Amino acid sequence: MTPRRERTSTLVLALVVALLLTLLPIPDSLESLLPYWVGLVLTYWALEIREMISLGTAFLIGILLDILTGSLMGMHALSLVVMIYLVQRFRSRLRFFPPWQQALSIFALLINDRIINLWISSLLGEPVPTWQYWLSPVTGMVLWPWLFLFLDRTRAERRQHKS
Amino acid sequence: MARLNTEGSTRLFSPEGLRTARLMLYLMLSVVLMAMDQRGHFVPRIRSAIETGLEPVYHIIGVPSRVIQLVKEYSRSYSEVVAENESLGRDILDQSAAVQQLPALQQENRRLRALLDASAGRSFEFRFAEMVQVNLDPFSHQVMIDRGARDGVFVGQAVLDGAGVMGQVDDVHLHMSSVLLISDPDHALPVQIARTGLRTVAYGTGETARLILPNVALQSDVRVGDLLVTSGLGDRFPPGFPVAVIDLINRNAGGTFAEVNARPLAALDRGREVLLVLQKAGESESVISEPGTEDTATPERETEAGS
Repeated sequence: MTPRRERTSTLVLALVVALLLTLLPIPDSLESLLPYWVGLVLTYWALEIREMISLGTAFLIGILLDILTGSLMGMHALSLVVMIYLVQRFRSRLRFFPPWQQALSIFALLINDRIINLWISSLLGEPVPTWQYWLSPVTGMVLWPWLFLFLDRTRAERRQHKS
Repeated sequence: MARLNTEGSTRLFSPEGLRTARLMLYLMLSVVLMAMDQRGHFVPRIRSAIETGLEPVYHIIGVPSRVIQLVKEYSRSYSEVVAENESLGRDILDQSAAVQQLPALQQENRRLRALLDASAGRSFEFRFAEMVQVNLDPFSHQVMIDRGARDGVFVGQAVLDGAGVMGQVDDVHLHMSSVLLISDPDHALPVQIARTGLRTVAYGTGETARLILPNVALQSDVRVGDLLVTSGLGDRFPPGFPVAVIDLINRNAGGTFAEVNARPLAALDRGREVLLVLQKAGESESVISEPGTEDTATPERETEAGS
């Protein structure tokens, strides 16, 4: 298998897992802690390999996520497109940050994403969510370094396995 | 974008400018999609078709929670099961006593209706369905149930749970359907206060624990604790099913209407089992409609509701 195809298969696998994690039912008390799995996984790939995630891919994955989670069509698409755009824009800087600083930037990205979502949902006439709405970026930030290491490891292992 | 403007059109095709242009394109595309999904008919139809194709995904996701449920069932102790069995037996006894009176009451009801020259009331059948355990976007106010077009589910069908009205079927797939909850800000439900018969409309607020009744007149007879039942107007929800209990009334002297909030009785954010309402064949004459009080019910999903 060519390295490119193999990378793609790892990406698809990671994305499927992220989607399942998003949809898996969890107790209500933990729901607000649920990190934005798909966003985190896509950010990882956009950081690691420049040409892997285009804005178009992010858009399509967002649409898929919208359909699966029953949210308004285009909501996650918009959020992922903005996220990936920002990652691509600051990619060279983000890549050379130490992990904790990278995690902070991811936190900023996720907060920005929540603000966009809040704006859309308020246009829809939804009530302003409680403070728990802002917990998800925190879990995202805490999980980021581990997710990063985990995905790095998985990629390396799959590469070795295949060759 | 700013850079694109200041440095003129020659920069438009530089990698940076190109990326910004593409960002704008995709942003516009998603905004248009959102608008079309909210208002139009075309996008929801496509979406429904894709969802039908994605049904297996929901099945896979439901597996872990089903396994947990099974393990829980099997690991219950004997004494627990006996205790539950006993309490269920008592419940059945209580309820069957109430049911015994039913034929007599029905008879009486029919006679009175005949006296009043009113048309016959309707009776309903229920079909059991289970919720598909999946974590949907909390902003969507939807739940998935495990019955679909194959089982005769149709759009607009009323959905109840053991305690009250939950919502209505919003979209039907082959083996599943999605149910729009009464807490959706776009949902309007024609209701009636059980004690006084006052008819009004209960709107969703986006919170699962609160409905609002925006058009109750200041001087009308409403009390905290009043039960709201479906009024049956609009032909979507059967009449007489409990919906919510009024838990806040604020008679602000400035306005025309009182601020009334109600708490839904159905377990909108938890629960597993639901009932689909079927109208019994052959008894579908409409209930006699009394000449209007302040009823302005728009029964269907109110897409025009202010946003």
